[in-house]
Formats: sequence, C-alpha cells, structure tokens
Amino acid sequence: MIVIGLVACMVMTLNFLGAAYKEASRLPFQDIQGTIIVQKNGNVPETISGVLMSCSLAPIHQDVIGKIGKIEGVNGVSSALSLWVFDIDHFKRVLGVDWQDGYGKSLSSRVIDGSIPKSDGEVLVEKTYAGKNGLNTGAIATISGKQYTISGVVGTAANEVVASDFYLNLQTAQDMAYQSKNLQAVESVDNTDVNIIFINAGQQDLTAITQRVKQTLSGPDTNAGQTPLGQTIGNYNIYTPATFEDQISTVMRLSDKLIWVISLVLFIGACLIIARNTLHIILERRREFGILKAVGFRSRDIQKVISIEAAIQALAGFAVGLLLTALAVFLLAKTTVSIAIPWELSPYPHFLLANPDDANVVQTHFLPIKFEPVYALVIFLAVLLIGLIISLLSTWQISKLKPVEILRNE
Amino acid sequence: MNKIVTVNHLSKTLGDIRVIDNVSFDIEKGEFVAIQGPSGSGKTTLLGLLAGLEKADEGSVVIGGEDIISMTEDQLALFRRSNVGFVFQSFNLIPTLNVLENIGLPLFPEPIQRKVILERAKKAAMDVGLGERLKHYPGQLSGGEQQRVAVARSLINNPKVIFADEPTGNLDSKTGEKIVELLRTLNREKGQTFVLVTHDDKIASESDRIVRLVDGRIVNDH
Repeated sequence: MIVIGLVACMVMTLNFLGAAYKEASRLPFQDIQGTIIVQKNGNVPETISGVLMSCSLAPIHQDVIGKIGKIEGVNGVSSALSLWVFDIDHFKRVLGVDWQDGYGKSLSSRVIDGSIPKSDGEVLVEKTYAGKNGLNTGAIATISGKQYTISGVVGTAANEVVASDFYLNLQTAQDMAYQSKNLQAVESVDNTDVNIIFINAGQQDLTAITQRVKQTLSGPDTNAGQTPLGQTIGNYNIYTPATFEDQISTVMRLSDKLIWVISLVLFIGACLIIARNTLHIILERRREFGILKAVGFRSRDIQKVISIEAAIQALAGFAVGLLLTALAVFLLAKTTVSIAIPWELSPYPHFLLANPDDANVVQTHFLPIKFEPVYALVIFLAVLLIGLIISLLSTWQISKLKPVEILRNE
Repeated sequence: MNKIVTVNHLSKTLGDIRVIDNVSFDIEKGEFVAIQGPSGSGKTTLLGLLAGLEKADEGSVVIGGEDIISMTEDQLALFRRSNVGFVFQSFNLIPTLNVLENIGLPLFPEPIQRKVILERAKKAAMDVGLGERLKHYPGQLSGGEQQRVAVARSLINNPKVIFADEPTGNLDSKTGEKIVELLRTLNREKGQTFVLVTHDDKIASESDRIVRLVDGRIVNDH
C-alpha cells in the first residue's frame, strides 16, 4: 500500500511538475494575448536623443504582418511600436498600441483609472511610473515636446513583457517615429511600421506555427542579429514559451517523453516490488489458504478474496498517493520560479542607470503547479492494473497450493 | 442403517511407500468411528483420502452416493464445502477472523447473505457452548475453546460426515475429554456421523467402532 502510495505520488508529482514548468514558461506571455513575439534587430543610432526605437529594434513593415496573419494556425496578430523618448528633462518609454487588436484589448482591460486614449492628444500612464512622477488622470505629460492629456492609469507591472511608461494610440506613436530625424538617420521608418508583433497561436500547434513563422521570415533579408535568449532568424528574433523553458529549471529539460519513461520505470519498479511482496505474503499465508481450501474454498474463491484485498490495498494506496500528492502540490505551489526577460522584451536603456544590471528584468512567479484530475485518473487506472497484477500473481500461486500438504507441514 | 461412506480397494503411495494399501470398509449414517494405529500407519492419510483432501492412486471413496476419487480439485472443494466437515489437531482457525466468522467460513463463498451466515454461525456456536465468545479472536481463546470453534465450523454446512484428525491431540486430558463429550453429544443428539483419528484408547473406547490400521492396511475393524 505504501509502495503504491509513494509511486503514485512520485509519478503524479513528476507529471504535475513537468506541466507546471511548461505553464511557467508561458507566464511572461500571459498578459499580451500572444504566444509568439517577433521583433527585428536594427542599427544602433549614433546619437542617443529624441525618439528612437527601443533596443535599436528595426521597423517591421505591414506586409510582414500580413504574411504572418496568413500562416495556417495563427488565430490573430497584434502589433505595437515600442519607442524610447530621450527628452531633455526625462527619459520615457512609450508604446504605441492598436486598441482594437488582441494586445490592445488586453491592455484596455487593465486600465485601473480613467480610460484608454480616445484621441491622439491623450495617453495612458503606467501606475508605478505615474506614482513616481505624480501623474494622475487628467494631468498633462510632455513627450517629445508635445503635451498629452493623461486619459487613465493602467495597472501593468514594471517587469512584464513590453513594459512601458506611456501607452498611446499606435498611429500617434508611428507619426512620432516617422518624424524623428535621429531615427530616420539609421532606419527607414514608414508611418505604418511597428517593431513588435504578437502572434496568437494555440499552445498545441505552437511548435509547428513557430516553424512556419520562421519559414515566412527567413527571406533574403538575412542581416543576422544576436539575442541572448530568443531564436534568431535572419535579423528577426522569435520568442516563444520555449525561449524561457531552459532557464526556469533543469526539471524543465525533461521532455514529456522522458517524464513518461521515468513514470514507466517507477511503475515497473513498483510492480516488481509488489510482485515480490505478494509472493512473500502468499508464502506467509500458506496455512490460511490451506485452511480455506480444506473447508471448501476453490482457487477462484480464494482469488476473489485476494482480489478484494488487492483492490482495497490498491485503492488505499491510491488514496495515500493522492494525499501525498496534494501535500506535495500544496508545498510546491509555495515555491517560486524566476524568469529572466530578454532585454528587448522589457526594454530600458541600461546606460541611463547607475547600475546597468538594473535593466535586466526578472519575473518571479509562484510555481503554477496544479492538481490535474486527468493525470490522477491515469494513475488510478495504473494502480488498478497493479491490483490486477497482484490478483493474477496470487491466483497463479494459490492454484499450486495443496491443502493437505500445507496443513501436514504446518 | 444407510451407508454414508463406502471405501473400496483404496490405495495411496507416497514416494516408495504404500501408505494406504487396498483398504475397503463402509461407514453407516450416524456412526461414531475411530481410526487407530501406530505412527506412520496411514491414519491421517486415510482421513485425508476420505475427506477429499488427498487423491487416491487406486480404489474408490463414495460419500453420500458420490464417488469423490474422479473429482477435480474444484469439484472436491465444492464437495467438501457441502458434504464434509473437518476438525484438525491444531484447530486451524484464521487468526484474523473472530469466532463467528471462523465458524461461518465454509459458507462465505456461497451466495448467502453475510447476516444469514453469521446467524447460522451463532447457532452453531451455541450448540458447542461458545455463546459468550462470539466476537473473540482465536488468540483470545483457550485451546479447548478454539477446538470448539473448529467443531462448530465443521457443523455449519450440515455435513454428511465430519472427519476429525486427533481432535484432542493439542489439548490437556480434561479439555480433550470435554471435546470428545461434545462430539459424542452431537453424534447422539443430531445423528451426526463422525470419523476420527486418535491415539487415545479412552476416546476410541467410547466410539461405536474402531478401525485399526497397520502399515496402511486394516488389521481390525470392530
């Protein structure tokens, strides 16, 4: 019973952990309505002033978005324009958002005061930034020499993907970029360009869709860029949950197949231990079975007794396993995972900071481990199988017992 | 009287030894028969053959009109369950079952409600004087009480014949006498047929008949 309980707990916990780490790798994407992020590396401007693409990203033209939107399996495409604004008095991060697309709608739902910008003269401010700078809804903020009325405050976190200080209409940001001489000096920017694409794709098709995105983007434009964590195709960087998997935990490196192999090894190990114990127990209970046969029990009657006992043992073992797993899940849910966000995805100019490492953004999440009833059901069936093995093994042994020999020798 | 057991030319060889050698005899319904003989004479083997616990090499054993020699293991088990009771020298009770459960044990594989089985077990327990010990476990009972449980268990299926192998062998003489008295009472009052193996001449002397074995052969039957 204890063996069944421990093995059930180990197998369930291992599978829940695998699923939890996979889920954790998706956490950086949870607020952006996308599962794949595409950016393009650009040129470093000679003069750091005025309006620039964040992280020296390159503009992505609308035709690329159109191509991605046609990829089979893509449910939706959102885009944004991330800018760094080096005003004389203050540095600002600005994100141009299309409030009608998936990302824009997700952001809209997180407005905690006021509303999204309703005109080009309005801007949404991030709550931490607003607090530090004393900005409230209705106040005036100056960005690149132009005054904007703060239409509301949005509750985004400073360490989330594509964090920004100000959020404004995409077209407003595009005009701002288009009119920036410093930016136009290094990149050919159109007033319809963006520099971040969020692709909404189903989790199950993610690998295949990522491959199709890579194929779509791998054209003659192969000015290879470098990124520490993203996958580089030509000068495009593609970020998916897989980008974060390796850094979360070594456990994450266990593939689904490996987890199943380990589970199978544990299961077979449990079966062998149980088989040995069963044979030992039958040996110990020879006299009892001899008595049962002597008073008129057939082998199948004894098998019935053994099967009921095995079923009770298996169910009790499974119950112990469930309790241990619930405890393990409860304790593991208290642990945290740290996910380093690539600089390009949470851009801040590190050269402005006293400690450049402060620009590195790390998200810390509680491990999103959950008790999955489906896994529990699979384990339950496996435990029943163990019970069946016990029963069959017992029957085979018991059928060989001769009552008179047992009772004579006892 | 009716013949309840008929044994014809029964033989059994274990290894090179012919333990039972061409034995023939009958037992009448309601008889109290003692089988006696020196150690190694084949008493216990003969009892095992009669009860269907052992397979004979030759001959036949007919109990209540059924020849048990040609029966399979499963058929023998069913036959024992319905027709035969057995009392062992070492009681052979299941230590994890209480008195009632031990008594009702032969009926548990039957499609009878547990409640009905336990009621019948209770009646059998009363018949052997164990009315106060129904919920006790074998480890909480004296040797005599344990043997009474075994006797009650042998009675539970209303057997045609009860075989007892040295039923007093593990008991002191006084307790042994009480057990024999119990068996005798059941024999007289219920007409229960008993065949018992015993070394004890005193017990044998109280029997209706003594079958004496030497080297697997009946040397005396009176």
